[in-house]
Amino acid sequence: MPTGLFGLNPWLDGVIRLLIIVGLMTVVAMGLIYIERKVLGRFHARIGPQRTGPFGLLQSVADALKLVGKEDLRPRNADPWTFEFGPYLVFIPIFLGFVVSPFMAGFTVRVLDLGILYFVAVSSVSIVGWVMAGWGSDNRYAMIGGMRAAAQAISYELPFVLSLLSVSMLAGTLNINEIVEAQTSVPNIVWQPLAFIIFFIAALAELNRPPFDIPVGESEVVGGPFVEYSGIRWSMFFLGEYASLFIMSILISALFLGGYEWPFGTQLGIGWQLVLTVIKASMLIFLIIWVRASVPRLRIDQLMGYAWKILLPLSLLQVLVNGFVLVYDLPKLLLTAAGLGGVFLLVWLTEHAITRPRESRATAAATAATLQSEAAS
Amino acid sequence: MTSDETNEAPAPVAAVAATAPLLGSMWPEVDKALDGITARGEQGVLDVIVHIPPTEIIRGLRALKADTKLKFDYLRSLTAVDNEEEGIDIVYHLYSTTGRHNLTVKSTLAPDHLFIDSATTVWRAANWLERETAEMFGVRFNGHPDPRTLLMPEDMDDTFPLRKDHPLAEIEVLQGEGMGYADGDGEDQ
Amino acid sequence: MVIESAHEFETQDLLLNVGPQHPSTHGVFRMVMQVDGEVVRDIIPYIGYLHRGAEKLCETMDYRQGIGFMDRTEYLAAMNAELSYVMAVEKLAELEVPDRAQWIRMILVELNRLSSHLMFMGAFGIDVGVFGTPFIYAWREREAIIDLFEEISGDRMMYAYLRPGGLAWDVPANFVPRCREVLTAVRQGIADFDGLLTKNEIFIARTQGIGIVSAADAIDFGMSGPSIRASGVPLDVRREEPYLKYDEIKWDVITATEGDVYARYLCRLAEMRESVKIVEQCLDRLQPGPIMPEKMPRMLRTPPGEVYIRTEAPRGEFGIYMVSKGGNRPYRLKVRSACLSNLQALKHMSVGLYVADAIIVLGSIDIVLSEVDR
Repeated sequence: MPTGLFGLNPWLDGVIRLLIIVGLMTVVAMGLIYIERKVLGRFHARIGPQRTGPFGLLQSVADALKLVGKEDLRPRNADPWTFEFGPYLVFIPIFLGFVVSPFMAGFTVRVLDLGILYFVAVSSVSIVGWVMAGWGSDNRYAMIGGMRAAAQAISYELPFVLSLLSVSMLAGTLNINEIVEAQTSVPNIVWQPLAFIIFFIAALAELNRPPFDIPVGESEVVGGPFVEYSGIRWSMFFLGEYASLFIMSILISALFLGGYEWPFGTQLGIGWQLVLTVIKASMLIFLIIWVRASVPRLRIDQLMGYAWKILLPLSLLQVLVNGFVLVYDLPKLLLTAAGLGGVFLLVWLTEHAITRPRESRATAAATAATLQSEAAS
Repeated sequence: MTSDETNEAPAPVAAVAATAPLLGSMWPEVDKALDGITARGEQGVLDVIVHIPPTEIIRGLRALKADTKLKFDYLRSLTAVDNEEEGIDIVYHLYSTTGRHNLTVKSTLAPDHLFIDSATTVWRAANWLERETAEMFGVRFNGHPDPRTLLMPEDMDDTFPLRKDHPLAEIEVLQGEGMGYADGDGEDQ
Repeated sequence: MVIESAHEFETQDLLLNVGPQHPSTHGVFRMVMQVDGEVVRDIIPYIGYLHRGAEKLCETMDYRQGIGFMDRTEYLAAMNAELSYVMAVEKLAELEVPDRAQWIRMILVELNRLSSHLMFMGAFGIDVGVFGTPFIYAWREREAIIDLFEEISGDRMMYAYLRPGGLAWDVPANFVPRCREVLTAVRQGIADFDGLLTKNEIFIARTQGIGIVSAADAIDFGMSGPSIRASGVPLDVRREEPYLKYDEIKWDVITATEGDVYARYLCRLAEMRESVKIVEQCLDRLQPGPIMPEKMPRMLRTPPGEVYIRTEAPRGEFGIYMVSKGGNRPYRLKVRSACLSNLQALKHMSVGLYVADAIIVLGSIDIVLSEVDR
């Protein structure tokens, strides 16, 4: 893999790559905002943006111009350091995650041997930015949103990492490009259906997308940690959210759906590989938007309970089964069978968790009633 | 102490044009439930109206709620009517969910003594209704757990908008007959 | 401002101010929540932001002008509000409403109930967190109903169409086929909502077991409408004291037993189906005829008297207490608002729940602030 893309001095080469990343990310994020509005509009039986430019294509540009022109408000009592640096801490790690995303063979910005570890470590830093934004805004809604975001990110980090672990166990490496190249004949989703579903759910939670968007719950805490930000600063959060959506989709398609490798292999030119990657990522993005349009929001304790009590044990189970099959060299079909069984178990457990009789809420309400009557008397 | 069954109430606020007899209505049972409480009944347009003096109103309401045949467990509405010189009437509309009958209970307060006991101990529904009546008419409900203003701003607790002596702004008629300023009262009252 | 609470870890309760400008308070409503972490310890509602003095103003309006005020008192169910008012006037003045006017009134009132419940579905969906989808579905069906109302009365929201004695003018000639079109659209809308929300696991997890009111508490608080019927009390004014022609057609009172938010949602969903049934039966029984009694005076005067008339508005029992001392305007008009009585129980329902749940409970009571504040 070439150290210099354009055969230049490696430092200059690094700077050019960084500029490409930044430019690409911004364009991608703006495009994704437009796509989400259109697709969401279709789900809502309406059309979405259609007036700014042909088919409303310039809507994101108009939004960006508007945000740039807004006054940069700062609450008087906002903590200056945390308020200022929160947004940066949110979107810089996402840009860093771009470094290991495999778009096509040989054109990853940097192929790291510890690719997955790097990605997980770096993307976890952005949650610090959320909490900083929540605390520094001097606003109770922001603080509640920041706390919720921290709790959610911590809870879903474990299923996230464990499902990544299952995939890397299969390929025997943490290098993302090698995992992609190991999927020449069969994508990983065939061997690891349970890990795929758990990773998808955990990724939605890490992205703070519905149904896990309670930190940014629009109907209650109205924007959560970002409620006091305006203009360019707010657009940083927004861009960061959509950029990370894109990167997560690329990653899921690379790790589970075969990336640029399946089904045609590397004989395909790099142009077609890019198209393949983008098609797979688009399918996932469509799925994520579809979920947003259809499902209500989970409450914070239900969300955390789901992660700790259902997803975590199942992902540990998946790792265990993987280890068993790989160490004793059993046929890989066993993985598929166990995975499908695990999927049914997940669905059954979720259903059971929803429909079990709810004594705990009733007793909570009863104690609240006695508290209240004592207070009134 | 004694309750008289009269068809002709002496110049009350709501006298029906045609005097309607109280027989055949629920007045006898109400009378029995309110035994020991000064109560005077009359037949309104739809409901039987019971007049109870303000000193005994809570006992009367409790008796009506507790009575096994009447069982007025639902307080529909609690409001007041300003009758200028004759005082302010506090009006309670009661309903029984089991027996499906209505009753109107009235209590007249003298214009210089606008105090009455709160009915929140009888039905919790009276809470906000009494707050609103208090701020609109200047009536004090003794024993109310939360006597803040409900609809009016907190600092405006000395104006009582629904009293008859509280003025309305001049109404400007902008089209049709009578263009110009009309005063607040029309030709009839 | 923080309040010390008696905990071992010396935590402080947070005073969270929700509103008056907030996307989920359904109008200008303010509540101060005392929150311990995520658990609500106390709620203090502040209302009165939309108080316009309707009761005082109606004392200066004659019986036709007052109808416009009743529209604005409950703008989502304006036909119901107007109906209570004109029924009170008719009772005082002893007017006989012709049959055709009664059937048409029933159709309009039930259509208004449908549009109001659709609005609830939309707003409730947003509260629960499904961004946009139920809202737009609700609006699509409401458009059908509101277009019909515009054809009849000329206005999309403030109809001023009912008059003491009957209606202002007769409905257009294509009223019955138009109504049937509207009903087809609404049936599809109800099916859409049912499919989207009712069996959705997250929706059930969010709404079941939350905001429970027992039947005895609901009666004590004076609640009415779907909020009390979901607690198992079959209190429906249309059944208890039938007005218009409700005793001449077949329909059911919808009750549920749990009294939680999910039960209220189901009640409203089923009530929409009942309303569709009622409108269909009324359309079948509609005959040509007069819509006002023959000898209506130009300026309506009522003899002295007082009356309390109640009707079943979509949110509960909308009552009008009218005192007349002769003349052409009421001496005292009291609007008994269903939402005010329902809102009293908010604190009782939400203490001990999480913040997110308290918002959903508020949404499930389905308040419209113009009725609370008048």
